[in-house]
Amino acid sequence: MTTRDDNVVTRSLAQIGACGIFGLTILRAIPRSMRHGRETIRQIWFVGAMSLTIVMTCGLFVGMVLGLQLYDVLSIFGGTSATGTVVAIAIYRELGPVVTALLFAGRAGTSITAEIGLMRATDQLDAMEMMAVDPVAYVAAPRFLAGVVALPLLAIVFCAMGVFGGHLVGVTWLGIDNGTFWSNMTASVDVHKDIVNGVLLKSVAFGIVVSLIAVFQGYTTPPTSEGVAYATTRTVVASSIAILALDFVLTSFLI
Amino acid sequence: MTQRRSYAVGTGLFIVLGFAALAYLATQTTSVANTHRGSTYDVTTRFANVGQLKVRAPVKVAGVRVGSVESIDLVPGKEEARVTLAIDDGHKDIPQDSVATIYTSGLLGDQYVGIQFGQSKTPVKEGGEIGLTRPAQQLEEMLGKFFGGGSAPDRLGGTFHVTGDFTNIGGLQPGAAVKMAGVPIGSVESVVVKPGAVEATVTLAIDKRYSQIPNDSAAAVFTSGLIGSQYVAIQPGGSPEYLADGDSLVLTQSALQLEDLIGKFLVNGSPSDNKNGNAQGGAQPDNAGKK
Repeated sequence: MTTRDDNVVTRSLAQIGACGIFGLTILRAIPRSMRHGRETIRQIWFVGAMSLTIVMTCGLFVGMVLGLQLYDVLSIFGGTSATGTVVAIAIYRELGPVVTALLFAGRAGTSITAEIGLMRATDQLDAMEMMAVDPVAYVAAPRFLAGVVALPLLAIVFCAMGVFGGHLVGVTWLGIDNGTFWSNMTASVDVHKDIVNGVLLKSVAFGIVVSLIAVFQGYTTPPTSEGVAYATTRTVVASSIAILALDFVLTSFLI
Repeated sequence: MTQRRSYAVGTGLFIVLGFAALAYLATQTTSVANTHRGSTYDVTTRFANVGQLKVRAPVKVAGVRVGSVESIDLVPGKEEARVTLAIDDGHKDIPQDSVATIYTSGLLGDQYVGIQFGQSKTPVKEGGEIGLTRPAQQLEEMLGKFFGGGSAPDRLGGTFHVTGDFTNIGGLQPGAAVKMAGVPIGSVESVVVKPGAVEATVTLAIDKRYSQIPNDSAAAVFTSGLIGSQYVAIQPGGSPEYLADGDSLVLTQSALQLEDLIGKFLVNGSPSDNKNGNAQGGAQPDNAGKK
């Protein structure tokens, strides 16, 4: 573990390295965690289904504001019929996966960190080891798996709500022709490039990163109430930076 | 246990919702035609210029998509692009003598290959070639047709060179069009002033298709429109002999300067260009008549 007198760079590197090693530990524990399949499903419920409300609301508003802004700008060039296209592409390629991952880090990542951190602080993890229950397989792996499964599903729902929001503002409110809106969108959006590479691949990558960071921060938190608070903060900060940096790297490879 | 069961049902609902949304995105907001990769057959075409055409660009007949561009490469050793089109098997009936053209959708849109059917009863075979093509229209060339002296035609047929001496070429630039009867037949290859001479020597590259130009033709530097670019106009003479490669045009008419023209209106006459007086026969009598 790191000590106080290490400098920032060394501390960050040590954190990243420890996080990577912890990731490998989780991967090794996944076959064993399958015995606790119900726990994984319970976690998908908590991190995924319970996040639906916030993700759907945010997706709707992001789509609506995109529709409004694009209509405003595109009307300068007389190209308002492209509103649907740009809303869909912007949401599929960037906003859907990225905003969902940021929301997920804030809503589900923090709760995972806090829950595991409190287990650590109240010696529950040590108690499990005493009872010959592997805490990585029973606590960490199901939450990690749940995050990896839930985030892509949430991102897809976000995208659908975003397109719906763009339609709501563009067609219902601002009066773009309904047929033009959809046919321009379908003509320009590509299943492989925009949905598979955009929404799915990115959100799976973000799901892995955010869940790993959240579980790792909770698992390695100092067993104090202050330590849990710090760990929760670090989850949000580290996840956000990792999401945005990874987004750039992924985009440069996929585009 | 009921607690557990409700988690499972809720989670199942969540996953089903996710996949339903995915199906919605994939089917309702994208076009099946974009990814349709049924069996296709290849047809090659050759273009003088493919412009911004990209691989996977659509191939359309009467505006309806029938396939996509498979590959674009250069014909070895030639200034020609070979474009391979993958046409869907459902459209086997494209006549052999069809014309392939590269179009742009809208002013700024992507380019695509349009096929206009010919009259032939024999359809083009798998691996065959559509021989008749029209290259991509460059926006610059189209604008040039409106504002400038017109586009220089492509030089697939080869060119021959003739020269002409002008006292004043105005703003004539290399690359400007050479026109006969308003039709672009070549381009200005170079504009130089020979050492020791006072005249500009303009070399014109004229397409070999237009080789039957009388050798007593006159060349004039004209301006298209008020603010258009300048071009060289060839006014055919009556000689039975034709211009050959390396010949020079004897009769030339220099560029009219806007300042000179305005001067003619204002002061009714300008310092006349004595040196080239004969060649400027068109302008001179007009001037004399006013006096």
